Amino acid sequence: MSVGKDIAHDSGIGHVTGESIFIDDRPEQRGELHVGLVLAPVACGEVTNIHTADALKHPDCMGVYTYKDFHHQKWGPIIHDQNFVCNPQINYMAEPVVIIASTRRESVEEIKRLIKLEVKEKSGIFTITDARKAESILSKASAPFIQGDVEEAFKKSKHVLEGHFACGGQEHFYMESQAAVAYPLEAGQIEVHSSSQHPSETQRVVAEALGLPLHHVVCVVKRMGGGFGGKESQGAPIAAYAALVAHKLKRPARLILTKDDDMKITGKRHPFEAEYKVSFDESGKISGLKVLLMSDGGAYADLSSSILERAMFHMDSAYFLENCHIDGVCYKTNNHSNTAFRGFGGPQGTMAMESIIEDIAQFLKKDATTIRQTNLYQGNNLRTPYGQILENNMLPDVMNKLLDTADYKARRKEIDEHNKKRSGTLRGLSVTATKFGIAFTARFLNQGNALVNLHLDGTLQVSTGATEMGQGVNTKIQQIVAHVLGVPSKDVQVMPTSTEKNHNTSPTAASSGADINGAAAKNAADMIKGRLTELAKKVFAGEPADAIKEYEIMKGELDSDIVFENGKVTQKSSGKEITLKDLIGKAYFNRISLGAYAFYKTPGLGFDKVTVKGKAFNYYTQGMALSEVSIDEYTGEMKVLRTDILMDLGRPINPGIDRGQVIGGFVQGMGWVTTESLYYDAKRNLVSHSPTTYKIPNVQDIPRTLNVDFIDNPDNDVNVYGSKAVGEPPLLLGVSVWTAVKNALSYRANGKNSKLKSPATQEEILMELERIR
Amino acid sequence: MRNSIILFVNGEREELSPENSFMTVAEYLRYKKGLTGTKVVCSEGDCGACTILVSRMREGKLGPYKSINSCISFMYLLDQSHLITVEGLKKNNELHPVQKAMVENQGAQCGFCTPGFICAMASLTEDAKKEKFPLEEKRVKNYLTGNLCRCTGYDSIIKSGCSVQLNTVPELASFYDDAKIEKDLATLKGSVRITHGNNSVFLPASVDEAVLEKKDKSPRLAGGATDLGVVYNKGKLKLNDVMSLNNISSLYSVEETGTHLVVGARVSLDEVEKKTAKVFPDFSNNLHIFASPQIKNSGSLVGNLVNASPIADTIPFLRVAEAEVVLRSTSGERTLNVNTFIKGGYKELDMRADEIMTHIRLPKTKHSYKLYKVSSRRDLDISTVTMAVRYRLNGNVLEEFSLALGGVGPTVLRMNQIESKAIGQYFNQALFKRLATDVKASIKPLSDVRGSTDFRLTLCHNLMLKFCDEVMKENNISFQEISL
Repeated sequence: MSVGKDIAHDSGIGHVTGESIFIDDRPEQRGELHVGLVLAPVACGEVTNIHTADALKHPDCMGVYTYKDFHHQKWGPIIHDQNFVCNPQINYMAEPVVIIASTRRESVEEIKRLIKLEVKEKSGIFTITDARKAESILSKASAPFIQGDVEEAFKKSKHVLEGHFACGGQEHFYMESQAAVAYPLEAGQIEVHSSSQHPSETQRVVAEALGLPLHHVVCVVKRMGGGFGGKESQGAPIAAYAALVAHKLKRPARLILTKDDDMKITGKRHPFEAEYKVSFDESGKISGLKVLLMSDGGAYADLSSSILERAMFHMDSAYFLENCHIDGVCYKTNNHSNTAFRGFGGPQGTMAMESIIEDIAQFLKKDATTIRQTNLYQGNNLRTPYGQILENNMLPDVMNKLLDTADYKARRKEIDEHNKKRSGTLRGLSVTATKFGIAFTARFLNQGNALVNLHLDGTLQVSTGATEMGQGVNTKIQQIVAHVLGVPSKDVQVMPTSTEKNHNTSPTAASSGADINGAAAKNAADMIKGRLTELAKKVFAGEPADAIKEYEIMKGELDSDIVFENGKVTQKSSGKEITLKDLIGKAYFNRISLGAYAFYKTPGLGFDKVTVKGKAFNYYTQGMALSEVSIDEYTGEMKVLRTDILMDLGRPINPGIDRGQVIGGFVQGMGWVTTESLYYDAKRNLVSHSPTTYKIPNVQDIPRTLNVDFIDNPDNDVNVYGSKAVGEPPLLLGVSVWTAVKNALSYRANGKNSKLKSPATQEEILMELERIR
Repeated sequence: MRNSIILFVNGEREELSPENSFMTVAEYLRYKKGLTGTKVVCSEGDCGACTILVSRMREGKLGPYKSINSCISFMYLLDQSHLITVEGLKKNNELHPVQKAMVENQGAQCGFCTPGFICAMASLTEDAKKEKFPLEEKRVKNYLTGNLCRCTGYDSIIKSGCSVQLNTVPELASFYDDAKIEKDLATLKGSVRITHGNNSVFLPASVDEAVLEKKDKSPRLAGGATDLGVVYNKGKLKLNDVMSLNNISSLYSVEETGTHLVVGARVSLDEVEKKTAKVFPDFSNNLHIFASPQIKNSGSLVGNLVNASPIADTIPFLRVAEAEVVLRSTSGERTLNVNTFIKGGYKELDMRADEIMTHIRLPKTKHSYKLYKVSSRRDLDISTVTMAVRYRLNGNVLEEFSLALGGVGPTVLRMNQIESKAIGQYFNQALFKRLATDVKASIKPLSDVRGSTDFRLTLCHNLMLKFCDEVMKENNISFQEISL
């Protein structure tokens, strides 16, 4: 039985030997061209003239293209407001302006330097504060989430606190930068290989850019060297640039961004700010919360409105808000167009709430953990601000077990003692939660399709819309299909994702890759199994089939009496069995289909966008993390001493892969709130555009002790094989490191309010220490 | 004179065309050899995805296999070497034990950083076998400091490293016929000169040839190219006329005399870390968090000094240690104190265009040292501020005190005025509170991506206090509470 096993990643051997093929590993084809982008030198303004003559004289230069060469000049995942290249308005620093094609990789930079741009610079808007003043808005929440009566609660409550929270953006830092190679096919058709989480969107964007019908464009994704949301929408224009060159010059064309250009051009996690007013009683029980979430969407709409919405959905973190008013606005600035990033607004909403809890604790001089316990969703308090009731709520169990196994009380006491004696180090301890809603909040995206082909030797090929970016979705799909037909998982090969096999696919995003595509693959495998079941019954019953009479199978149905296991098909009631391979042979010679295409849509979703009430999510993935930090009071240097994580993942399809997702997500979240600082100069050049200056966690930065466990949840039955989505939820737990810093600083606060921002870089920590000291 | 680069890649002999000789190693492997397992992410030696293993000929023998960043190295720098890439670690269809361990422990997710980790880990198991140390977590982490992974959070990778059974690990020398490779490479004698288009490189076989070339053509010197490779990749520098001292055997040694430790120009920082462990333990420890293994295997102490960055991590130590530099030209040899060698301006050195630095001499004295490095991330990061102190206490009296600060001016500063205020004083918190304030008043650091002016000032101030409290603790000088 394959499901539930900790089998190795399906590309594991390819990865460790270097044999796995990524976009730029594809051998160069005859006549292939190398594509380069010339970027805007100002953050706001207009391109008034482009001098291309010198570039065109370069012997290796085969073409120079501007906005005029695109069939449609705009693209966008929700609304088409983003220019492929400046047309001629410049809306952010390093926005692509010109596309060049070179016969040699080595000449690309040289040719780019021969293009001379004349620009007229205008003053831009770069911060939420400035955008707010200028009322420069990209989108607003359709309506605030309102529960109870928050104004009434403020009047009646003993304590009311007002505050401000701010967190920075985050670079995805996928190891493989944006990349695509396009091959012109016959009759003007085109095949694009892209490092993309969303092949269908890439297919559409390429078609629109070139003015082709969709059936003349195929997008193929074998794998990505990391995605994290950064290749959900923003891989598409990169593919379009390569496709434009391939289409114009009828030669293969490859565009591989350098890490520096990638970091400058592409959008990042949205910086958020929150203004809040919260009321509570002496125990810290929250009676009312009014909050306005504000995000920096950057220059274009991209996915910003959905991201703002998800931030609002997660503003409750894991706490019941009887009276609340949650609103949001996304501002338009002259920054790179911010985009999806693992968590999709959820981390920002959750972090704002966890920060508020720390503020309440500091105000009441109480342990923040007690305040979290008091406010946690539990008992009958299970209604979210948008009216969805938490089912199978594991939060109280998770919290109790985590605090117990991680020895919370004793450690808190020890830290209280340690911080009293001024030794030069300051310690902090904090627990935070993730209660991540699983489903695309855009309902139509919760659909998927799958194609399963069973071959005569009993091996299978599976194709779905899921894209593999390291998260192991292919391995899970492999396990699901192997499980259905009772074959070893090595007999199932998950094929490259391609729009010619799977149509109108959703992005591999919202943690739902395995949920939707795994369920679709299971449906397809079940269809084949149904036919084979019916055939097996006829065979076991001794029904004859020969040159004249063949077995007739219609739809076929599953039957618990017919078991597919270990390459055999057995009738439990009679004890008769046949090898799967023999049964397949009979099916083929009797003209019974051994392939199936199936569809899946997530059932039961019903969120009303007008009333902003209803079932937005299929279920929640829940978990908590307890982190302890130590701070050098002289330098602000921070170390994470220990983190304990407990997650509810239902019944994991592959516990080993899920463990990797939990730890990887946590560390990425930790990076966001600690060392990952985006630094811009006055002209809005991103100065931290490579790992020398942009510091993602390295091997020495992870918690000195890291304990990860899953809580048993045999009752979960809402998703494929009772599993739960795992991609994004653990990222939110990185917040516990930031709140632990905040907790540590509270020991020196002397009654001053915390102004700690995220990321809590060494500088942020030291300067905050200086301020409160 | 030879006019081609000769080396081995995964056991196969390569004689490079002039054109290919000037490629970065990663480009050559990927686009000329089709060995695309070696990945390029940052092109600046900071992510480790391009890690390969290199053994270099020294005195007729292949030296130990060391990990390097292939994206910032050039083919001409690897003349007379044997390169093993990730593909080369799988032999006769059998995975290397670290490859097996990474599969079994889910050590790879997206797979893009994985080949680099595999090579770094193979370097770990190779050293562990040779130096007989166990594969415990701390060691594993230290060998993987130069590799970034964005997917796993490192836990499964560390577990992979710890799970390898060393007795199953074959020595890299046994992978390919190293004896045969040695025999072949040992026949290569004399210097090498290659020209292609506007590019030329000269690899002298002796210091005498090197100084002649320096006088005639004044080429740029490339050793490990850990900085040059970066600025070249980022399009900020053309490397037309280059000379590398990599083929001069005599520059690879560290000699201990009665009074000095003498470090040759080609001694890697990794070796400096090892060779200074006894005589300058604080410096050796400081090198521990200096850069990554890959960079330390390529970069040299001389390179770090001559590059003269105001945030170079070794220079504060060299300044307070009163190190001496040996400069050679056709007109002879000069030995200068590093404090006169470094002048006041940005990268301003007392070094003529016809000179090369052959050695750094570290005087052995009975002082104590304290070295501090503050960076956004503890490991593998460029410093925001560095501080080095050399001191000697006589009872409670500060008899000697030397102070250098990096990251707060156009060059690493020696703080003479602060020193004279400290020398002869009683060692106590009041003194250092005064000195800390004085330090703050006497520097004017810039604001940049690594920290604001205020942050740097506060750091320098607080590091003085930290130094004071640490020394008091270590010397059992009683105090009520910390200086902060």
